[in-house]
Amino acid sequence: MPLPLRYPLGNLVVRRTRTLLTVSVIALVVVATTLFGSLISSLKRTLISTGNPRNLIVLRKGSTNDGSSGLTLEAFQAVRFFEGVGRDEAGQPLASPELVVQPFFRTPSGGRENVLVRGVEAVALKVHDDVHIVEGRMFEPSQSEAIVGRGVSGRYVGAKVGDTLEFGRGRWKVVGLFESHGSSFESEVWVDVRELANDAKRPLPYSGFRLRAADGADLEALIRRIGGDPRWALEASRETDYYAKQAESANTLYFIVAGLALLAGIGATFGATNTLYAAVQSRRAEIGTLRALGFSQAAILVSFLIESLAIAVAGLVIGAAVAAGLGRLVSHLLGGIGFGAATFTTSVIELRVGPTDLVGAALLALTIGVFGGLAPALRAARMRPIEALRKA
Amino acid sequence: MKFLPFIWRQLVRNRLRTALTAGAIALAVALVCLLLTMPAGMNAMLKNLASNTRIVVHNKAGITYQLPYSYIQKIRAMPGVVGAASWTWYGGAFEIEKGVTFPNFAVEPDAAGVVWQDYKIDPQQLESFRRHRNGALVGRGTLRTQHWKIGDQVALRGTAWPVDLSFEIVGEIPNDRSPVFWLQREYLDQALRAAGRPALDSLGIIWVRVDDASRVEPLMREIDDTFRNSEAQTASETEQSYFKNFFSMLQGFVTVILIVTGLVALCIVFIAANTASMAVRERLGEIAVLKALGFSRRLIFATLLAEAVLLSTLGGALGALTAFGLTQALHGASGWNPALGPLGGFVVSEAILVQGLFLALFVGMISGVVPAFGAARRSVAATLREVF
Amino acid sequence: MIEIRDVSRIYRRGADEVHALEHVSLHVDRGRFVALMGPSGSGKSTLLNLVAGLDRPSSGTVEVAGQRLNDLSEDELARFRARHVGFVFQFFNLIPVLDARSNVELPLLLTKLGKAECRARADMALQVVGLGERAHHKPAELSGGEQQRVAIARAIVSDPEIVVADEPTGDLDAKNAVEILGLLRDLCREFQKTVVMVTHDPRGETFVDEIHHLDKGVLQDSAPGKGAA
Repeated sequence: MPLPLRYPLGNLVVRRTRTLLTVSVIALVVVATTLFGSLISSLKRTLISTGNPRNLIVLRKGSTNDGSSGLTLEAFQAVRFFEGVGRDEAGQPLASPELVVQPFFRTPSGGRENVLVRGVEAVALKVHDDVHIVEGRMFEPSQSEAIVGRGVSGRYVGAKVGDTLEFGRGRWKVVGLFESHGSSFESEVWVDVRELANDAKRPLPYSGFRLRAADGADLEALIRRIGGDPRWALEASRETDYYAKQAESANTLYFIVAGLALLAGIGATFGATNTLYAAVQSRRAEIGTLRALGFSQAAILVSFLIESLAIAVAGLVIGAAVAAGLGRLVSHLLGGIGFGAATFTTSVIELRVGPTDLVGAALLALTIGVFGGLAPALRAARMRPIEALRKA
Repeated sequence: MKFLPFIWRQLVRNRLRTALTAGAIALAVALVCLLLTMPAGMNAMLKNLASNTRIVVHNKAGITYQLPYSYIQKIRAMPGVVGAASWTWYGGAFEIEKGVTFPNFAVEPDAAGVVWQDYKIDPQQLESFRRHRNGALVGRGTLRTQHWKIGDQVALRGTAWPVDLSFEIVGEIPNDRSPVFWLQREYLDQALRAAGRPALDSLGIIWVRVDDASRVEPLMREIDDTFRNSEAQTASETEQSYFKNFFSMLQGFVTVILIVTGLVALCIVFIAANTASMAVRERLGEIAVLKALGFSRRLIFATLLAEAVLLSTLGGALGALTAFGLTQALHGASGWNPALGPLGGFVVSEAILVQGLFLALFVGMISGVVPAFGAARRSVAATLREVF
Repeated sequence: MIEIRDVSRIYRRGADEVHALEHVSLHVDRGRFVALMGPSGSGKSTLLNLVAGLDRPSSGTVEVAGQRLNDLSEDELARFRARHVGFVFQFFNLIPVLDARSNVELPLLLTKLGKAECRARADMALQVVGLGERAHHKPAELSGGEQQRVAIARAIVSDPEIVVADEPTGDLDAKNAVEILGLLRDLCREFQKTVVMVTHDPRGETFVDEIHHLDKGVLQDSAPGKGAA
């Protein structure tokens, strides 16, 4: 017959200090790994959510990056009429020529960050139809106007709607704010492509183009056609693949999280084991009595494992709550975390603790609970009634 | 201290608990040390590579904006300038699928030796770099990550410029923290012209070596004033400032790392405190006897605290050693990681080891205080009444 | 040696007030073997604690070895105990992780003596109680009687004037009990120590010089023991 739940849980309450300390250890481990893990997942989420499955990105062959590629006007004029490229209601190709530049922006604290400025034409909003202007309006060409993404707004001096941004060689009036489901476009500033080319004095007018495939078009065929054209060295890929690749660089970071979870988890397990062993030791007589009364070894084992798991669960719940709160606090204070050694520009990530992070934390906590409690629970179960009743 | 054997014996009385606690603390300290390598990597780069007599001149609009090549000639003629060399981003990818995994720049070999005298590049290697058009000087950090050695032939695919180039590694920049790959500017220029492209008449950034640190500020102002009304305005800054700005991109990430480190350190406190309180609780009778024998409260407090500190310190030492060992193992994987940049060099320095050890010591003290104080304060007679 | 005048001790246990001792007066000469006897809760242990400097009275004066213990602070009492009092308890006497010799050396750690000197004295004390060859054994390896003998060795190692014993034979069988009582008496005779013992053990009467009975915190009567020389 199993022991009533009141027994293991009651014991935890009685030994308050010990229980609390162990719960805290587990909670801290959960917070640490969850925070770190969610940082990386937030980065990945931002990158992966960017990109439309029906869009292609065309760059110069060999460029892995928007910012380091350069294309000619002729190339654009030809490719936009390829079969497979979608058209809008007026029959114009859904092809968006773009120029990417990374000027300095000043932060209010006096720091300096590279920000991705994308020169576009009006058609860009049709090709990137996930991008929506939520405040103000789209810029007018040749008016030195700009629209900013949600992540940019407020992060830099003059980056709010109505203010004036200073970057490159000029001043740009911010006339609109756009959102795009938290994708990396929200870390960008969009301006008129011709004005940008002028300001940046780039030899080539565009760095790449984005194409929306026509409904029912074969994307692979289009990709092959663009890549195989002997006139220009171009390379096309799906937008989703392009951003997924960038997200890959975040994978090495997962190693760090795993390492952190492993080391911290083992440490916490040791801590839990200590606590449980002491509990078993101090309750020898009690255990002997229970065994003498007829409770089976399995019942004792289960009871102690429940104690261990209860501690782990308490640690998980507290840790998850603190991690979520801390994440929000950090996000609020830092206004999004800047990432960008790889692409040389700042991707503004909103730190958010997501469901996958919590699942990972739960696994960690439960592992600690089970492994931490196993050895002591076995010792308790194996105690012979007579030995336990003898004076210590 | 003559009480040391007594304190030691208390620790080994429950070997399992001591081992588990020391182990937990060791792991936590190892973790802290490893985490601290990240921001330390940044600072080490700053210390190791930055010189206080080098200035960076770049386009005011941004690092990715070019400057006319004529600027460097004007700067070379200014008083106080020992030498000036330019960096122009080539952006070559070694493995095209991975993209650009280390920074590579076109430089002028003659000027390079002067501007970066402090890097102590082997003069013969510098000479080789000068003579071989397709020579490359590579920083040790990248040599290590890519498993290259001097004499290797390396081909890079151009991602920013429409030419692919192949090189022979003729020398190294003898600094573990240096990730750069230098190629000859002439080589890039020739290749562009051969491909039917215009000649290379712009540059990325200019590095200027000044004869004396006191001339740095005035020279920076002079340079910026000279080009203030030109097409491309310049912004000059010291090398330190340049690195710091570069790192400020990573600030958010570093903040999270530091928070996590703090949390782990707190873990150590709780683990050690838990053990200390358990140990004391079990020994209340014994402690009462010691007090009866005449051990003053202060002495009891001191021995209990010493026990906690000794345990934590042992755990800390073990942890520091583990961290050290781990980084030796990780060394092959470390270097300039594209995602982490300068944060990726997991090198545990002596400073970090010492920090880890001190953390353990400090933590031991904090964690032991409350149980020790509680035990010391209890009235002997009251304890004897309860226990006996 | 010991002068207790009109001493009362009241303490709190939870919400209640316990009158452990009520106006007790006692006088013990040097070199005497004294037993405090009485039923459970009679206050004999409390009285012992006062004599030993483990506790302070609520009222009255306690003078031991020429010192007024009332006025001393906690730290001063600790120093007093270290110098003037030896202890033998019923349970938990010895530190389980230390061997016999180290246990005996414990009080000497509080003095300024060097390691060699401490060791020598500890060995000597063990010889006195007849456990010279067991110096390296841990308490778990010693019988109950042997453990008490080590405790006695510890009680005399720093040469205190007084030895205080709380139920020293409570946990022992007949043979060992008698041995311990004999040993305690020898401490008086041969080393001129004043031994104050709290006991239930009727055998104690044959060894001690005087017996004081307590009940409900009050000294009932005193009588000479059969061990009086």
